Order: sequence, then structure tokens, then C-alpha cells
Amino acid sequence: MGAYRADDDYDYLFKVVLIGDSGVGKSNLLSRFTRNEFSLESKSTIGVEFATRSIRVDDKVVKAQIWDTAGQERYRAITSAYYRGAVGALLVYDVTRHVTFENVERWLKELRDHTDANIVIMLVGNKGDLRHLRAVSTDDAKAFAERENTFFMETSALESMNVDNAFTEVLTQIHRVVSRKALDIGDDPAALPKGQTINVGGKDDVSAVKQVGCCST
Amino acid sequence: MIGVGGSDWKHYIRRKPHVVKRRIRKGIPDCLRGLVWQLISGSRDLLLMNPGVYEQLVIYETSASELDIIRDISRTFPSHIFFQQRHGPGQRSLYNVLKAYSVFDREVGYVQGMGFLAGLLLLYMSEEDAFWLLVALLKGAVHAPMEGLYQVGLPLVQQYLFQLDQLVKEHLPKLGEHFTQEMINPSMYASQWFITVFSYSFPFHLALRIWDVFLYEGVRIVFKVGLALLKYCHDDLTKLPFEKLIHALRNFPDDAMNPDTLLPLAYSIKVSRGLEETRQEYEKKNGKEGKSPEIEKQLE
Repeated sequence: MGAYRADDDYDYLFKVVLIGDSGVGKSNLLSRFTRNEFSLESKSTIGVEFATRSIRVDDKVVKAQIWDTAGQERYRAITSAYYRGAVGALLVYDVTRHVTFENVERWLKELRDHTDANIVIMLVGNKGDLRHLRAVSTDDAKAFAERENTFFMETSALESMNVDNAFTEVLTQIHRVVSRKALDIGDDPAALPKGQTINVGGKDDVSAVKQVGCCST
Repeated sequence: MIGVGGSDWKHYIRRKPHVVKRRIRKGIPDCLRGLVWQLISGSRDLLLMNPGVYEQLVIYETSASELDIIRDISRTFPSHIFFQQRHGPGQRSLYNVLKAYSVFDREVGYVQGMGFLAGLLLLYMSEEDAFWLLVALLKGAVHAPMEGLYQVGLPLVQQYLFQLDQLVKEHLPKLGEHFTQEMINPSMYASQWFITVFSYSFPFHLALRIWDVFLYEGVRIVFKVGLALLKYCHDDLTKLPFEKLIHALRNFPDDAMNPDTLLPLAYSIKVSRGLEETRQEYEKKNGKEGKSPEIEKQLE
């Protein structure tokens, strides 16, 4: 077992889910973040996809285990099982299709019904490169995020704009919650078992540290 | 054996079902594939019994799923030359077939994944033929209906995944144990196998051979091929930890995807009894006993 851990060393492992309507660009956000790839010819996701990437947060290596889910409503029968144990979520809409923004509320409810209250949620307005087709204003989305106490960023998987920032911000916030929690209970965060998803549940309330993140305009 | 337009087919298949099975397992010649698929799936009969219906569905009806379908058209076999051209003949046919089905069965409508079935069929037959073959499969002209793959709650997907899980444990106990330890669940790798009958991410030359058998023998072959893939890669898979395991289960090596190696291995795996037992187990677990409570009451 030790052999494969050597090239795969991390301090924390966080489970993150990518959700949102079909066709908003979840899979391309994932491939941009984990492999720096973007494809105009990608297939619609059937079921779930999975990828990982490790980044450095403060002085720790944080590994994100990211589940990308099919967006069509019918698929929630399968995909909602993947929300369990998630400590972070990127809830994606398409800035050129207003209906995908309107549905964010339902996704949020879905998420809150299936996950721990302390989950870090980032509202992500993707396809920011399609400036002439914009249908959702940055201000509206920002106001919504403030009201719902989620983070917010606009991205473009195609232009690689803010993609790393969005994921990094989510992972940083999760890390903050976890270290604060560990501090509270006098535990050594580095001693948390590897290979297991860290649960941020408990008395600590992440919403206290939530604020609307920066967004590109 | 087939006759002009399939006229001798029914006679032959009744007399020599085992010859047909054996020859189909060897692979249907590509030039006959479209015709034979329609004959063995029962879709030819549906087409002949329902003249004008397809046209009606495509031209005169509107579907609530039109936008959903359009959004997925360019995301169905995007690198296949037939479907590449925007608004080209491939994309138009695909749209029409999916729209027609979403009107034909408004309750199921359009569900992601159907496009891969329809797309594969359209490589071998006309729109109308592809539509009726889709109907034959989902409504169960010859085999058990598959519409449960796409109905609300995806009930048949859930059942098949449960059955596969059990079959892996039975046929490949060491791998089954490893999956349990690494917390690998069939929905992480096999949903697409069932929802698109191996057409989503497997090479065409393999998918076509699987479809030959699938249309004649039914969904059993999907389990057999799935188990054969796991068996072929067994020794590698049992060494891998969670993440690498998931990757491996979604990216089988080329030699495993060779139909002439994989299919004979699949044929050698017996699943009939296992499928029946696990189906009953699944129904018991989910509170269905095969008969509805009303019937039970009447029987008392």
C-alpha cells in the first residue's frame, strides 16, 4: 500500500461535487482544472465522472477528489448519492442561459438536503467568454450568492479564466473550516487519516466565515 | 437465410435458432448489419404495422424536450464524421429520432444517453428504421422492455447496478472484496454500460459486435461483457487503490477491447441463474414481491 502513496502525498483529502444544469460546462471546468484541457467536442456526461488534483493551501497539500455529475434532472436518482460526504460544491450555471441561473435555487436545496450544513458552496457563472450572449448579470448573481451565503465567481473554462481560482477558493475555505475545527477540538489536523474524506460537520459553522468572493468583470 | 428483404428470416430463425445464435455471436457482416438488426429486434414488424406514424410524430407534434435534445445533439458522438457537421444530415436525423421518441412516449420523454443508442442505429439504417428499433428496445418487442433505464428514478439502472454488484462478488470474489474495501460501487463505472449499451465510450468495432448479440440475446450480454472486462483485467485491478481503480475501470487497455478476445470470454461466463436470483433479491429488498399487494389480498 505504501508504494503508491509516495508519489501521491497529501495532508488533506476533500470531496467536492460539481453540480448544475445540463450543458453549463461542468465537465470542461473539471478537465480545465485537473488536466488543463478544454474540448468543444465533449460528450454529455452520463452518470458521474471523477478526477483529482492536489494543490497547496497555506503550508499544506490539499487533494481534491472531484465528482462531476450528469446535469439532467432524471439523473439525480443516481447522482444525489454522490453528494454524501462532500465538503465542497461548485454549483454551476451558464451566464448565457438565464434558466440555468433560475434553477440554481433548486440545486441549492438539493445540495442542502443531502449534505452537511457546513459544506462550502461556490456559485459559478461559467461561459464568461461569451460576452455578447450574456443573459445573467454579475450583480444579480452576486446578490443571490450573498443572500444564500455562498461564494461566487464567474469563470470561463474555454479561456481558462478564474477556473483555478474557483476551485482553489473552495479548497482554501474547506481547509480553513477543517483547521479551525481541529483547533477547537484540540486535534492535530495532520494526523487526520489519509484516504478518507474529511467531515466538516459538527458545532462549527462555516457560514460565519463566508463572504462573497471576488469576481471578474 | 435472410431472403429478400428478410422474407425467409422468420422461417429460418424458428427452425434453426442455434445456428442463428452462433453466427450472430461471430459478428454480423457489416453490409447486412442494418437489416439483420431490424429483423432480430422485431422493429421491422413494428414499422410495417405502423405506416405513417413516424412521419406524424416528427412533423406534426411538438415535444417538451426539444431544447434538451438540441443541446445534446452536438454532444453525441462529437468526433464521428457522420455527426460532426452542424445541422448536417447526421445531426438532423438524430434530432428527429429523439424528438419522435419523446413524443411517442411523453412520460419518458428525452433522457441523456438515448442519443447514443439512436446515433449508433443511424449509422446502419434510416431515421424511421432507427426510431422503430428504439421503440422495439424500450417497449420490449422481443426481450424485456428497457424503458426503465430512462423512466423517472432510473429504476432499471438501479436494478442492473445492484445485480452487477452481486455478480461481481459471485464470479470474481477477490475483485469483489477489493471493490468493497476500496469503496468502489458499480455506479462509478458501469452506469454507462447499461444506459448506452456500451456505445458511450467503447470503440465502435467492439460496440457493434456487442450490439449484434445484444439485439438477439438481450441485456444478458451487457452483464457478460462487463464481467469479462473485469475478469480480463482482474490481476491488475486487484492491485489498484481507489482513484487508480476508478481510472482503470473507465479506461480499459486496447487488448481488453479486442472483440475476438473479449467476446469469447464473455460467452463463457454464465449469468442466467445469477441474474434471476439477484433480480428476485432486488425486488425483495425494494418491497416488490412480483405480485402487487392487491393480488396478494385477493389470494388470501
